[in-house]
Amino acid sequence: MSELDRRDFLKIVGLSAGAAATVACDPPEKLIPYVIQPEEITPGIAVNYASTCQECPVGCGLHVKTREGRPIKFEGNPEHPVNKGKLCGRGQVGVSRAYHPDRITGPATRAADGSLQSISWEDATAKLAAKLGSAASRTYILGGPVGPTLTGVIDQFAGAAGLAGHLTYSNFGQRALIEASEQVFGASAAPVFDLSGADLIVDFGNDFLDGSIELAAQFSAAQDIASHSDGGARLIAVSPRQSLTASNADHWVAAAPGSEGVLALALAKAVAQKKGVSVGAAVSGANVSGALSAAGISQTIFNQLVEKLAGASHAVALPPGVAASTSSSAGSAAAVLHLNVVLGAVGSQLTYPAEDAAPTASLADVIGLIDKMNTGKVDCLLIHDLNPVFSLPAAAGFAEALKKVDLVVSFAQLADETSEASGLLLPDNTSVESWGDVSPRPGIRSIIQPTLRPLHDTQMLGDTLLSVGRALGGNVAGQLPEGSFKSVLEANWAGENWRHVLATGGVFGEMPTRTVSVSASAGNIRPSAPKLAGSGDFTLVVYPHSYWGDGSSAALPWMQEIPDPVTKLSWNSWAEISMVKAEELGLTFGDVITVQTATGSVDVSVFPRGGIRDDVVAIPIGQGHTVGWYASMEGDEESPQKGVARGVNVADLLPAATDEAGGQAYVSTKASVTKTGRFRRLALSQWTDNQRERGLAPEVSLYDLAKGGGMAHFAAAANASEPEHGEGEEAETGHHFSGPPFEFDAGNDADPEQPYRWGMTIDNDKCTGCSSCIAACYVENNVSIVGEKQAIRHREMTWLRVERYSGDGEVDFSDGSERRPTPDGEVLGEVNTRHLPMLCQHCGAAPCEAVCPVIATYHTDEGINGMVYNRCVGTRYCGNNCTYKVRRFNYFDYGRKNWPGLLGMMLNPDVTVRGQGVMEKCSFCVQRIQTARQPAKDEGRDIRDGEVLTACQQTCASNAISFGNVRDQQSQPVKLAEEAGDRAYHALQILNTRPAVTYLAQVKRDENGGH
Amino acid sequence: MATLVSVYELVSDTSNVVRSLKARGFDDLTTYSPAPFPELEEAEDPTPSKVRVLTLIGGLVGVVTGFGIQIWMSMDWPIKIAGKNFAAIPPMWIIGFELTILFGGILTVIGLIAFGGLYPRKLDEHYSPRFSGDEFGVVVNCSDRDVAEVEALMRGNNAKEVKLHG
Amino acid sequence: MAPPPASAVPDAMNSPVSRPRDSQTNIDIMAVTKGFHWPWLIALLIAVSGVIAAASVLAWQTYEGLGVAGYQAPVFWGVYIITFVFWIGIGHAGTLISAILYLFRAKWRNAINRGAEAMTVFAVLTAALFPLIHIGRLWKFYFLLPYPNQRYLWVNFKSPLLWDVFAVNTYLTISVLFFLVGLVPDIAVARDRAVGWKKAVYTILALGWQGTGKQWKAHNRTVLHLSGIATPLVLSVHSIVSWDFAMSIVPGWHATIFAPYFVAGAIFGGFAMVIVVMIPVRRIFRLEKYITDYHFENMSRFILFTSLICGYAYGAEYFIAWYSGVEFEQTSFWLRAFGPYWFSTWCMIVFNVFMPQLLWIKSLRTNLPFLFVLCFFINLGMWFERYVIIITSLSREYIPAAWGLYIPSAVELTVLTGSFCWFSMFFLLFLKMFPIIAISEVKELEIHAKEAH
Repeated sequence: MSELDRRDFLKIVGLSAGAAATVACDPPEKLIPYVIQPEEITPGIAVNYASTCQECPVGCGLHVKTREGRPIKFEGNPEHPVNKGKLCGRGQVGVSRAYHPDRITGPATRAADGSLQSISWEDATAKLAAKLGSAASRTYILGGPVGPTLTGVIDQFAGAAGLAGHLTYSNFGQRALIEASEQVFGASAAPVFDLSGADLIVDFGNDFLDGSIELAAQFSAAQDIASHSDGGARLIAVSPRQSLTASNADHWVAAAPGSEGVLALALAKAVAQKKGVSVGAAVSGANVSGALSAAGISQTIFNQLVEKLAGASHAVALPPGVAASTSSSAGSAAAVLHLNVVLGAVGSQLTYPAEDAAPTASLADVIGLIDKMNTGKVDCLLIHDLNPVFSLPAAAGFAEALKKVDLVVSFAQLADETSEASGLLLPDNTSVESWGDVSPRPGIRSIIQPTLRPLHDTQMLGDTLLSVGRALGGNVAGQLPEGSFKSVLEANWAGENWRHVLATGGVFGEMPTRTVSVSASAGNIRPSAPKLAGSGDFTLVVYPHSYWGDGSSAALPWMQEIPDPVTKLSWNSWAEISMVKAEELGLTFGDVITVQTATGSVDVSVFPRGGIRDDVVAIPIGQGHTVGWYASMEGDEESPQKGVARGVNVADLLPAATDEAGGQAYVSTKASVTKTGRFRRLALSQWTDNQRERGLAPEVSLYDLAKGGGMAHFAAAANASEPEHGEGEEAETGHHFSGPPFEFDAGNDADPEQPYRWGMTIDNDKCTGCSSCIAACYVENNVSIVGEKQAIRHREMTWLRVERYSGDGEVDFSDGSERRPTPDGEVLGEVNTRHLPMLCQHCGAAPCEAVCPVIATYHTDEGINGMVYNRCVGTRYCGNNCTYKVRRFNYFDYGRKNWPGLLGMMLNPDVTVRGQGVMEKCSFCVQRIQTARQPAKDEGRDIRDGEVLTACQQTCASNAISFGNVRDQQSQPVKLAEEAGDRAYHALQILNTRPAVTYLAQVKRDENGGH
Repeated sequence: MATLVSVYELVSDTSNVVRSLKARGFDDLTTYSPAPFPELEEAEDPTPSKVRVLTLIGGLVGVVTGFGIQIWMSMDWPIKIAGKNFAAIPPMWIIGFELTILFGGILTVIGLIAFGGLYPRKLDEHYSPRFSGDEFGVVVNCSDRDVAEVEALMRGNNAKEVKLHG
Repeated sequence: MAPPPASAVPDAMNSPVSRPRDSQTNIDIMAVTKGFHWPWLIALLIAVSGVIAAASVLAWQTYEGLGVAGYQAPVFWGVYIITFVFWIGIGHAGTLISAILYLFRAKWRNAINRGAEAMTVFAVLTAALFPLIHIGRLWKFYFLLPYPNQRYLWVNFKSPLLWDVFAVNTYLTISVLFFLVGLVPDIAVARDRAVGWKKAVYTILALGWQGTGKQWKAHNRTVLHLSGIATPLVLSVHSIVSWDFAMSIVPGWHATIFAPYFVAGAIFGGFAMVIVVMIPVRRIFRLEKYITDYHFENMSRFILFTSLICGYAYGAEYFIAWYSGVEFEQTSFWLRAFGPYWFSTWCMIVFNVFMPQLLWIKSLRTNLPFLFVLCFFINLGMWFERYVIIITSLSREYIPAAWGLYIPSAVELTVLTGSFCWFSMFFLLFLKMFPIIAISEVKELEIHAKEAH
């Protein structure tokens, strides 16, 4: 190689690539080696870099997994105190932003005809500088929440350039809670909750299981059945619809929307009386009967709640979230804080950071800005990390006002409604291309470091502003920090060991807290009935969708394709109304209704369900984009239409209503529902929520568990009580499950000559159904997105689905000719929801293997049900014969067609991209087993327990999934299944397929209501 | 050396003439028939056709091959499938059976071709389209001095025609 | 008896051999291949265009992917497999008539067996296409064959689909051989009466057949043995096809009754198809003299008998589903009859069980227009039978959340139609090339009759 210089080498490579192209049908790809091999990169070995997730403001720590210099996956940073190694679905797919087809590829100006002309950064900077030079005093910055360093730079820039203002606005802000804390405790900060020690949690419409990895993990620990013989913490959810949290609660109080506050205050009063705690006027003044009528709940239920709250020793109440924010959000939050005081949670389950929260703009402030824009007081508007045209209530008239602004500058990464309305585009780097930092809460500083050289001609926001400032010259430049944004960042972190910070991902200290007590002014703020605009039989409830958030994640195809955890719908908007109301209005699943409010109306398909109040119509937030390959109908695989919205945007329905603190009130209007007679099929991922007493997702009550009589009445679960007892023949052959009455030679499953038989234990009791495991699986295994039309035809490719059942179901012989929830499934105010993560069970006696004529699916020596894509001819017999229906077929050439633009760059090189016409399915992340095998080999030992984490297990916030070698009697899955005793069962065990996945049945903690 | 060609209307006459000719030692004869008639074949040559041997051989080869390839291919690279034994015998009966039939059938037809002389070739000198009509033919080669006797036998059995080729 | 006077010998020898008239049978039957028939040409044109349409659609499907068909989880098998089973079933009548009836010396078969055999061959040729059309990667079909390769990649002898590969190919080979063996003497007839290039072709195909005793002896023995082995074969083939279903674990498939059930169904449908094909052929080519009411009545009897077996099988399935007490089975079967696919189920029951009962009436057994209509519906019913078995079972398996619906796409229906055209094309061409009735076997009967008086 010595006399062969690089030029010749490239020639040869090009030549061979060309030769390859002539013989192969695949398009040729040039193989260009590194000119200088970076020493930290070993081809084939993944390198992880610590960073921070930017999908939402929570600020979870990341390990960005890169291969050959490309970030291919986000995983939680185990050392990070917020998420402790876990991630939600949005975080999992955040990696795709960098490669997204919607990326704005470089600075551009918009011509009169609306078309974009790309320009150089110099010209762009000069253009903006020139504008600021003339109109600085009439220029505003409107941005989303960003890290401290960037905020600092922006403020410095605004100050130096003499801009009129900098508004930091968040669609889902915490202003109401902060305001309430200010009033009640005199602490202008948001409290930090800790559920791990709690024994009773009351969620007043916070839906924390959907919103917060941290709280979900704490909740799971507090409910851990293994360490709490009494079943651990109980969860009471107050919510007008069965949200994800409510569906995991032990008790669900279906209170009217907006009544959370008054109900909390009434509870505080009653509990105080019961416990004999003295309270101030703020609480004692509560009107219990009024609250009950407002909430629409009975005295008995109220008394039960009081009983439980008074009886609990470590109870904590969570304040209302976005879906429950009203004209008196602060009052409601205050009420919840009062309740926490009564419950004695303050200082234990609820603590306040020592320092106050950074001031943010409220919706009121933004409306003020809009007025200025309308009155021509704004010449130039800089918008970053925010999509106000989409997310602000249409009634606020931002889009119209924007037209009156002379120059709108957008720093958006992906094209969105706002960037479309901007005259100058200065695209920002995505998080994997940027430097930055985040401070989730005092005491925790989390770093953002780039793992990818910018793919396009983009520039970090901080650097852009600094260069513009310098272009402004004179004293402006003088007031700005020297060097690049990175140097500013380093300066901010000067106190820390920079290398250590980059290695660990930040500085993770304890949060300095302050002790708080109820202040005298506590009574100033009280919950009141929500102000509802307009008229109609329904109250409109809009809730943040698990994956779309405020709409910023709707552009990521996975977030569209993965079914919503509660409704199991994907790729569109829907309106939830109660079965009763649907009956009255003559509506069935999929019928299009018109939802009319004072401020607007939308046409949307209806999803009737039992788990929602009759007086409520609920629509998820975040859908209805008119811009974006996936977010709008632009990239629709069958009927692509540019500029046509996918689903509906609730912002069209909402008035610009605010609460006492100026934050947006989402429960703010009445709505009327009328039938249009049209029908639009929705992609519902599961046929029914009736498990027909098949015991797929059984439930065992604490009482039975104590008796040890567990689930004997489930045929499917019979004999499942003594798995993993691997003595004698079991231990030798190592098959991890012995179940009479069937014959089975475990030697034909995993090879007795070697040490492994991989298996999994899934605890349905811990599983909340949040579905982040699905997102992780999609990204890890290059699973294709198929789009709405295909999803409607049930052709989604997911390797892992979370089935959602209502109770044990019933055997009904009614003509099940349509895909829909069963009318008598969910019941208002009762929780009997079962979540069953269903993936390939890697059966010991796999039905799929026997029928494959070409041995494309077979059994590895380690007991894994292997799939050889290149051998598969696509007879699909395995798919028919799989009793768990977890096999997927490539109906089209998804692998080639469904990764447009640069998305292909995020494919995991360790996993084959499946071609047209082959079957595929879960592989137990066999590539991860292989990765772990190498070091084990080098050290001459077996793979240790816990060394292999499957993608789904790795990201599961509630630790519901454990994976390992089930021959090792000390491995996690075996131990958990043994501890679980009667809860352990195999799905469809009577079929004797010998699954390697052991499920642990959900536990019914309290007999009366709930699970 | 003379050749007599005779034509008959009925299969019974044909078989009779064949029988009597053979009785008188005129073995060098050929019969032509438009349709299969066991009695005629009996008269001409009572021994059963050798085709049956080939069928037997084919069948045996087939069953051995059937099981052979299955066992060998299963053990050539043993792969665990559905927790069953590597070379599980029961399912092999099916393909074993099919190959028995296949080989048996093919060899039977090869037998037909071999023993029936079925291959594109020139037709016999004395073959006539009438024999693919509804008439029978008996062709006898005999020495000139036997012509009279042979003809007599033929006519005696209602030969429609007798023709001498000197 | 005394030898004639030697004097008489010469003139007797010289008496001119009068040009013999050809046998009426030859003339009548060969007439089919000669001359020109409008219905034939029109039918052929329709058939060919249908084949072309289906072929182009298939090309597109192969390029785009099977998504253009109606498949959607969990129903991974659809019209293609249904049609495969359907044609395999049709392919059973021929062998049954030629082999089994031959062994039983049921001579009445002679007039229809050629047509039935031809039908068998073409039906199996059609059926054999469908597994290929059905698989996801057509270009890799050879993976299904146990060919030697460096990577020790063998096939899975435990898989019913592989049994199919062997069974169908064996059946195709044997029925083609059977067909040709029977054809050779008749090609000789054609050869002797053809002129010009046709004669040249027939001469080669006739393989020097002259009907010598030697040839007939070998021929008879061959036919006997082929019949002997074809009989168990024909029973095995559809049993194996049925095991594609019975060997799996799908509720509604996993039933021991399947093998006899499918074989009976195959004979049932096969005979129906023979009638549907033979009635127009007999009408158009004026073969009433050879294919008589007697034949149709006998076939009607078979149809009636096998229809009763089918009826029993249907009943048994439902009884066992109920008697087993297994909810999976019960649900599956209940939804068969009263679920989204009730239509196909009731078509199957009415066409295959109720309607054939009319054949108890003797006059209807020989009423050709009625038979034609009845058999058409029986074929429809048999197609629906496979539709019911495959689709309804797959759409309602163990995991209710993963249930689904399947609706055939236009692509699949085009291919289905194309398969009928493909079949007809072969049959029509055959009509014009070779005798549709086994001449020699018919003659056998005639000459025996002549013997009688």
